[in-house]
Amino acid sequence: MDRKRVGELSEGRKMIGIETQGASSKILTLVNQLNVQLEQEPKYQPRISGLKAIESAHENGIRMTVRLREFEVKDLLSLSQFFGFSTDAFVLAVSLLDRFLGLMKVQPKHLCCVGLCCFYLAVKATEEEHSVPLASDLIRISQCRFTVSDMMRMENIILEKLRCRVRGPTVLDFLRLYHKLILNCSSSERKKMLNLERLESQLKACNCRFVFSKTKGSILALSIIALEVQTQKLHELTETIENLQQHSKISDHDLFHWRDRVAECLAEYSSSRCSRPSSKKLMWIVSRRTSGQLHSYHRITPLPTIPETATYTE
Amino acid sequence: MSAAAAVVTAAEKVDGFTRKSVRKAARQKRSQGSSQFRSRSSPVEILLLPPLKDAPNAEQHDLFCQKLQQCCVIFDFMDSVSDLKSKEVKRATLNELVDFLTSNRGVLLEQAYPEIVKMITCNIFRTLPPSDNPDFDPEEDEPSLEAAWPHMQLVYEFFLRFLECPDFQPSIAKRFIDQKFVLQLLELFDSEDPRERDFLKTVLHRIYGKFLGLRAFIRKQINNIFLRFIYETDHFNGVAELLEILGSIINGFALPLKAEHKQFLMKVLIPLHTAKGLALFHAQLAYCVVQFLEKDATLTEPVIRGLLKFWPKTVSQKEVMYLGEVEEILDVIEPSQFKKIQEPLFKQIAKCVSNPHFQVAERALYFWNNEYILSLIEDNSEKILPIMFGSLYRISKEHWNPTIVALVYNVLKTLMEMNGSLFDELTASYKAERQREKKKEQEREELWKNLEELQLQRSQALSGSLQINTHNVENAQSSKSSAK
Repeated sequence: MDRKRVGELSEGRKMIGIETQGASSKILTLVNQLNVQLEQEPKYQPRISGLKAIESAHENGIRMTVRLREFEVKDLLSLSQFFGFSTDAFVLAVSLLDRFLGLMKVQPKHLCCVGLCCFYLAVKATEEEHSVPLASDLIRISQCRFTVSDMMRMENIILEKLRCRVRGPTVLDFLRLYHKLILNCSSSERKKMLNLERLESQLKACNCRFVFSKTKGSILALSIIALEVQTQKLHELTETIENLQQHSKISDHDLFHWRDRVAECLAEYSSSRCSRPSSKKLMWIVSRRTSGQLHSYHRITPLPTIPETATYTE
Repeated sequence: MSAAAAVVTAAEKVDGFTRKSVRKAARQKRSQGSSQFRSRSSPVEILLLPPLKDAPNAEQHDLFCQKLQQCCVIFDFMDSVSDLKSKEVKRATLNELVDFLTSNRGVLLEQAYPEIVKMITCNIFRTLPPSDNPDFDPEEDEPSLEAAWPHMQLVYEFFLRFLECPDFQPSIAKRFIDQKFVLQLLELFDSEDPRERDFLKTVLHRIYGKFLGLRAFIRKQINNIFLRFIYETDHFNGVAELLEILGSIINGFALPLKAEHKQFLMKVLIPLHTAKGLALFHAQLAYCVVQFLEKDATLTEPVIRGLLKFWPKTVSQKEVMYLGEVEEILDVIEPSQFKKIQEPLFKQIAKCVSNPHFQVAERALYFWNNEYILSLIEDNSEKILPIMFGSLYRISKEHWNPTIVALVYNVLKTLMEMNGSLFDELTASYKAERQREKKKEQEREELWKNLEELQLQRSQALSGSLQINTHNVENAQSSKSSAK
């Protein structure tokens, strides 16, 4: 090993506080990956000024608002669940959508098309070829009213505006990476309780909320993990979290602030309150035969009631 | 039989085979005649009597009775040329009697009652002839109509006016409209002529309404008719009409409901759902059931369990009807009752939703378009979501019909918004289950592959050792022979 490598090795050790010698090269790889992602991250962030404009917009049918964006993301989540896509597709779709909305003034009537195109781009980037549905199927299932060619045109516009930066480090990538690092660095037996699937669902819930688009993916990912560690009382992992926090250059203020926001969001998500009515009323199309048979019994004009204990008179 | 058949539209050809009626289209239809008519040696003629309105008051009643008696003569309508003049006389007379009764008061003297009832009895009470068409399919075939309808219609009309007359006295009439009368009336409900059944329905409704003393008897007889229909004959043309009358009776039940009525619901109305010809009277039957539940909500659980017990397994059209009825019941259900039946009911609905017959699936999925049902599901989503989830998720991938897939999306989306965290849990466990199953499949395949390889190795080893053995034997033999 040359000196530079040794230096890096010790750097890595110092940063993360490993205890087991043997895992060091693996950890080193992960740390390198983390560094790369942290460096790339700013290029894939939505423009804050654009997001702020959405936040302050009024509901007048012309401007994009927070409510509209949140409904659209919910629709994309439903589609993602329905088609059985991985969390990557959904998270990437939201990232593309937020980035685009941060750059361009989108009219509410085009939001459906923009959202679906972002979704389609994300699916094509993350899913295997045979899982990618036809564009026409997507449009039909989501009950949108534009054509495939509209969608193709919109796709080009999006790619152009985002300068073809489709696949970057997303909040999900950070979440997985942090999770791996914690599992590798900590010697605690209870670290397995930090369940990645659970964290991913929590992340999906957060993605639905516009407020989290304003922060960096790395901060959000670590906040989610920090909250889970707190909830599950895995105190032995706190030191590792702190190390990761330092390495990612996340301030205490940011971490605590966003951890609390995540807590609020998750509390609301698991409450029994339903989020209906949604902005788009679902269309229930049934076949002619079935529609003809609905409520058949209402078509009988009943005979006049005969009281049980009295005679009937006209 | 001629080959020229009626044009059958694609919608009617459900399974690609032509209906019986198409084959029978060429067959000539004969209208049925009255079995009461016996051929007479000499033709009977009736002569037109002077009009009632012109008769002096003192004679009016006698003239009235004379005309009634005249109308007791029955004519043969199968023969379209005989007795034309007399038929016309009878028709005009009947018409006149109807008008007379309607527009005059004080007509119904006590002496008139027996004459009136006799006239009615003569004209309508008859043994219905056996069906012209032994495979009569009420949905497909044209019914055989009553040949004597021109007269019979007026007799029924007269009967109705009689019952509805303001001067009508049930206390006098009950001597003539007795149990025997009612029994014969009920038998007529089996007539194939829908116009006759319609009149009978109204007539019986009025009789039930006005004769308190006959009510228990009528209910009992209807009971018997239905039970015979369900368990013995599977044939009766008047089920729908009788059910309509029952609907108005059920509507008038006093609370608390008598045990007899509850028995009727569970022992007769629920089993009635199993009849082959349910389509003909399902609307009326569903109406009766819902009326019962509106009277006494505690009947909901036994009713739903009864329907689930008889749930159709092979007839999809019936399944669609049952689903329709369930929706009507859910429309009026009380939330506390809903909780009692939600689990078995939604297990059945989950099966319906994944039914390959698209109409069944469609009808079941359409429940989610009903606001009230949605609110019930929402309040109990913890219990219902896990039951529905598996079927919905599976058919979103597997169902052949794109309309169904689109409806499933609507339903899944609604459920997702109802209880997001539960939905996530279910998705995760469903996926985990699928992974486990896939792994098992792979393991099983591996096992078979290994077994095959093992068998191959063994057979090779065996044949190899056989070769060595034979070789040894040959060697031994050759060495023996060479040694010789």
